[in-house]
Amino acid sequence: MANVTLKNVTKKFGDFVAVDSQNLEIIDKEFLVLVGPSGCGKSTTLRMVAGLEEITEGTIEIGDKVVNDVPPKDRDIAMVFQNYALYPHMNVYDNMAFGLKLRKFPKEEIERRVNDAADILGIQPLLDRKPKQLSGGQRQRVALGRAIVREPKVFLMDEPLSNLDAKLRVQMRTELSKLHDRLQTTVIYVTHDQTEAMTMGDRIVVLRDGVIQQVADPLSLYNEPKNVFVAGFIGSPAMNFLDAKIVQEGDEYYIDGHGTFKIKIPEDKIEKYSVKDYVDKEVIFGVRPEDVVDANITHDFDVTDYNSFVAEVEVVEPMGSEIYLYLAEKDHQMIARVEAESKAQVGDNITLGIDLRKIHIFDAETEEVIF
Amino acid sequence: MQLTLKDIARMVGVAESTVSRAINNKPGVGEDTKQKILSIAKQFNYRPNQLARGLANKQTNMIALFIAEMKSPSAIEIISSIEKAANQAGYQVILCNINHDLAKEKAYLELLDTNQVDGAIFAGGQLADEHLIKASLSGENKIILLNRLTEELLLPSVITDNSRGTYLATEHLITQGAQRIALLTDENESLIKEEKVSGYQKALEEHAIAYNQNLVIDSQGSREAGYHAFLELINLSDPPDAFLATNDLLTVGLVEAIKMGGYFIPLDFLLVGYGDNLLTSIFDPSLTVVKEPYQELGQKAVDFLTDSLAGKKLAEMIVVLDPVLKIRKSSIKN
Repeated sequence: MANVTLKNVTKKFGDFVAVDSQNLEIIDKEFLVLVGPSGCGKSTTLRMVAGLEEITEGTIEIGDKVVNDVPPKDRDIAMVFQNYALYPHMNVYDNMAFGLKLRKFPKEEIERRVNDAADILGIQPLLDRKPKQLSGGQRQRVALGRAIVREPKVFLMDEPLSNLDAKLRVQMRTELSKLHDRLQTTVIYVTHDQTEAMTMGDRIVVLRDGVIQQVADPLSLYNEPKNVFVAGFIGSPAMNFLDAKIVQEGDEYYIDGHGTFKIKIPEDKIEKYSVKDYVDKEVIFGVRPEDVVDANITHDFDVTDYNSFVAEVEVVEPMGSEIYLYLAEKDHQMIARVEAESKAQVGDNITLGIDLRKIHIFDAETEEVIF
Repeated sequence: MQLTLKDIARMVGVAESTVSRAINNKPGVGEDTKQKILSIAKQFNYRPNQLARGLANKQTNMIALFIAEMKSPSAIEIISSIEKAANQAGYQVILCNINHDLAKEKAYLELLDTNQVDGAIFAGGQLADEHLIKASLSGENKIILLNRLTEELLLPSVITDNSRGTYLATEHLITQGAQRIALLTDENESLIKEEKVSGYQKALEEHAIAYNQNLVIDSQGSREAGYHAFLELINLSDPPDAFLATNDLLTVGLVEAIKMGGYFIPLDFLLVGYGDNLLTSIFDPSLTVVKEPYQELGQKAVDFLTDSLAGKKLAEMIVVLDPVLKIRKSSIKN
């Protein structure tokens, strides 16, 4: 079992709190991604698990054993970093065997492990080559191989793909996911790239200023963000946020964009969430670009006066399979991701429909989600 | 008495900051004023106070050299090559003799943690342990390794291809007719020692000579160890016909023992030593040696450090330099 448990883990550099009282349970064999903008504490968290950073407060357990005072080499972990340097004078085999030789493993065991790892990574034919004879992707595989041969309980990966070009990064993303399936080992993976997080993680931890914002599987994170930060960080193009307030008219409740739009809140949401408490209060209205549609195209919901508004098209960005429309309505700016058949042109005032099933509102003060 | 910025400012009738800008060739000073300031500075041999300048820039212009040991002539070569390169780059060097003592190394790390130096070069010694990686990652200290290996390849390193040196030496001895080549190693070198052994093994393998464990003596790496290794090897039922010593002190002890025993080099035994320095140069016959590129190693390590300090991204993290075999009389059959 290789659960990793963080209990009230805090890291301070002088007065600066880099990681603030984190509680996190990473389940055995899970692929957990720590994601957030630079300076959010994700690498510091990983380094504390690795033992490369002292823990100011709290405890970290690996497989039910508190490891706060256990040196990195005895934690049964292996790290893969962004900087995948290899010893240039050693061939691939010797680079992969290095850590095992260091730990005085018998020659036969070293051979078995290096060959097994080379098979898994598909680099068996490269074992005799020197690093300079390898491509970037092959070198990255060797760097992974150095970690795999150690057969650790937990892999710690710190932006391991960020030095690769875009195409290779996409390819290696898939390969790392497959590798995780094959190795059946816990992986903690740090990235600033939300696409990487969404495509690879079983669960994702979104961090900001050292504080965990939300821990969830990728779809839940996308569909049910807990606050404005998570809603804005996950998804590309990012969610549209518009200042608004909740108004009540009879039995009905509306999101009122201060006169620029008025959207009816579905009844099920009024019952289920605390919408009534927010009447006449400021909120942030959030809607993802793909949930703003061109009303001239038929969708699985009707566009009515209560879920639509008119806006001017400022920029049209054709992406091939879809079009991004950059819209302006008075002071509000937003992006719609519409179907390729949309005829919208720059300067047009077009009607846009909003899929009410997918809208969000957030408390303007706390930025926490209302629904 | 040394002239200060304040004095020049008073003499020219401008603010101290103007004098500072003129002397540091920064914009914002009229050409006439600048020339007046520079001329006074030259006339009175004005030199900025390095300590004050360091405090202002949060730089000390000093680097620490952590050296694993200071007993061997190679250590002196490393120190002098680094000092020369550092001085040329405008840095002074603080020497920390670790003497293979981890506790001492950790204590000296205080220099980095308290910003008394801008960065450090760690030359030789055991595997770079987690304390160095921690110091580099969490302390954001600039650390360069020289001839020191590390498992997590996160620290810029300049190393010698040690297997190459022993490979060249062994192959040379084989081509001179040697069949039973003894190898003397230094146990303190840990992984570097293993690299040296692997170069030796590779050359034997390529010439279909079986590896004989009895001919490999792992020792303290001292002059005495070199001497005793010969006594041990000469008593084998099938003693060696050639020797390869993998550090300079072992080389000296070995040559002394051979001579003391009344044997002749290269008549009775072929010999390749290690290190091309004063110590190995005094013997007769002249010694064939593996020469490590200390000048280049020192220069490269300082280049890495100054580039890191200047915030430049290093084009390569690890540079490996080849040693050369200096063939002289001790390994040539007459």
